[in-house]
Amino acid sequence: MNNPISSAFWAMVHRDLLAQWRDKGEFIFRVVMLPLILIITYGYVLPEIGLVPREFPTHMFAGMIGMSILITGIHGTAIPFTMDFNNMHEIEDRLQAPVPANLVAYAKMLVGIIEAFIGGLLVLPFSAFFMGSRVELALQGDRIVYLVPVLILIAIASATLGLLVGTIVKPMQIAAMFPGFLMPMVFSGAIFFTWKSLTAVPFFQKIILINPLVYANEALRFALTPQIDSMPIACSAGGLIISSLIMGYFGFKRFHYMCVNR
Amino acid sequence: MSAQTENILEVRNLKKTFTMKSGHKVEAVKGISFSVRRGEIFGFLGPNGAGKSTTISMLTTQLAANDGEILIDGIDARRDPVAARAKIGVVAQHNNMDRSLTARENLLFHAKYFGMDEAAAEKKADEYLEKFGLAEWQNDYVSSFSGGMAQRLKIARAMMHTPSILFLDEPTTGLDPNYREILWEQMLELNKQGTTIFLTTHYMEEPERFCENIAIVNHGELKALGTSSQLKALIPSKNILTLKLDSLNEDDARAAAALKDVQQAKIQNGTLQLYLNTKQPDFDGIIRWTEDRHKTLQNISLSTSTLDDVFLYLTGSAMNAPEK
Ligand SMILES: Nc1ncnc2c1ncn2[C@@H]1O[C@H](COP(=O)(O)OP(=O)(O)OP(=O)(O)O)[C@@H](O)[C@H]1O
Ligand SMILES: [Mg+2]
Repeated sequence: MNNPISSAFWAMVHRDLLAQWRDKGEFIFRVVMLPLILIITYGYVLPEIGLVPREFPTHMFAGMIGMSILITGIHGTAIPFTMDFNNMHEIEDRLQAPVPANLVAYAKMLVGIIEAFIGGLLVLPFSAFFMGSRVELALQGDRIVYLVPVLILIAIASATLGLLVGTIVKPMQIAAMFPGFLMPMVFSGAIFFTWKSLTAVPFFQKIILINPLVYANEALRFALTPQIDSMPIACSAGGLIISSLIMGYFGFKRFHYMCVNR
Repeated sequence: MSAQTENILEVRNLKKTFTMKSGHKVEAVKGISFSVRRGEIFGFLGPNGAGKSTTISMLTTQLAANDGEILIDGIDARRDPVAARAKIGVVAQHNNMDRSLTARENLLFHAKYFGMDEAAAEKKADEYLEKFGLAEWQNDYVSSFSGGMAQRLKIARAMMHTPSILFLDEPTTGLDPNYREILWEQMLELNKQGTTIFLTTHYMEEPERFCENIAIVNHGELKALGTSSQLKALIPSKNILTLKLDSLNEDDARAAAALKDVQQAKIQNGTLQLYLNTKQPDFDGIIRWTEDRHKTLQNISLSTSTLDDVFLYLTGSAMNAPEK
């Protein structure tokens, strides 16, 4: 345990979790609000007034989980990096530690991953409350085994995307992130529709393949709601892995740049 | 580990150019070289924008240099930044404390990042919180600290892991004279315990009082390096008469140089500086001379040279003059 690298790493993780814990009200608010409002409108109000079919909640359930995990993870990693490198400079003390700078990024990403899982979990009670019996989970043994690996892949994808975004975006641009990045990602993220159902709009079907949320939601759909047609798991898992690799590659490149060009 | 080198820091031909958004290039550090002896207090002096912070950032592995060599305790900091960081403590010019942690936690987490043993860290935190007058506030968040308190905590944090060399970027800027004194007392004590201190400042009196060696930088260049008396010996005389006249040109300077007791005359920072070989100049004669040249004398003052004068002599502009 007295390996300086591992003790520095766990101290960094501890520091982040402690700081986030002290701000837990903000965390819960930011993580819960978006899925909550989407669940109320699309999962409860619209089916209730008959604008969408009554089984619609089942359609969107996997998407809600995927969206929460991905967005919480991106946010949990990206915002601290953006603020730290540009405004707060709190990260400097960690970057001054006699350990490779990558360790600082890994620690922050692990915290993003932990937060992402918490984000996914927090959606469950609202889903139960507002969509309740309308969500039909047809859990099947041969599918459910994919759930944990899929959740892990999504969380990793969220942290790598967070690293990339956090080392590119400036604090002044954060406000623009919501309409310019998160909203397009959410609405093209195969939450309210399945990827296969898009054969009618082929250009859209193709273009949204750059959105990692599509793979996340399709993979979750595969594991949780097998009765709904989803992308083959090899494609969705592959999409998550490839996007993590690409975003991780550029994310670390940017991170290194930011470390020595502050 | 090899035998201790005499110089804890060696810098050779260090360069940094920033490219601004407009494409304009700023040569912040133009190939400077110097060394710092183990155990000394070294002052790095220069006006705003001289390149002090840029240099410190490169020396402490926070900024990639364009060229040059940095040896910290014999370690090539550009090749092996991780090993170099184990040797150094940094006090940045800006506030970079962890605002969501308490004062004590700031010290303890820092110690953990540096792989310190927990018991040793707790003990040291107690000691420094006491010494820096922060014990009473140790469990308060840093976000509620005044500038002076945060500054003291920043220094305490940088000392936690007992660095071989401590870099402080303008540590006394923004502190009242009382806290400046306290800070200096603490820095001197740390130095006595063996820590080399490298500090930047634009207050002239501080390095004059405390630093063994002083480097003067301006526009990214090293203008001079030496002890305070060595630096003062660079100017023609230590008795300086400064004349402020309503108008000045090079002819005036040439004419003044021929006056009695004047060793050299220079126009600097809009004033005429006469370097004298006497402590008691002929004021009447000088006033008459200004009248003969039809100038209005607005101010005349006699002083013994300070580092300010050295700076003025070397660069032609005052240390704390507003930037053009
Ligand atoms: N990140 C940066 N990008 C572009 N230019 C920079 C950057 N950092 C510093 N500079 C420029 O480099 C020069 C030296 O700046 P530096 O901060 O090192 O000066 P300094 O001596 O520390 O000044 P001060 O006393 O104001 O702290 C300045 O002209 C500054 O504008
Ligand atoms: Mg500076």
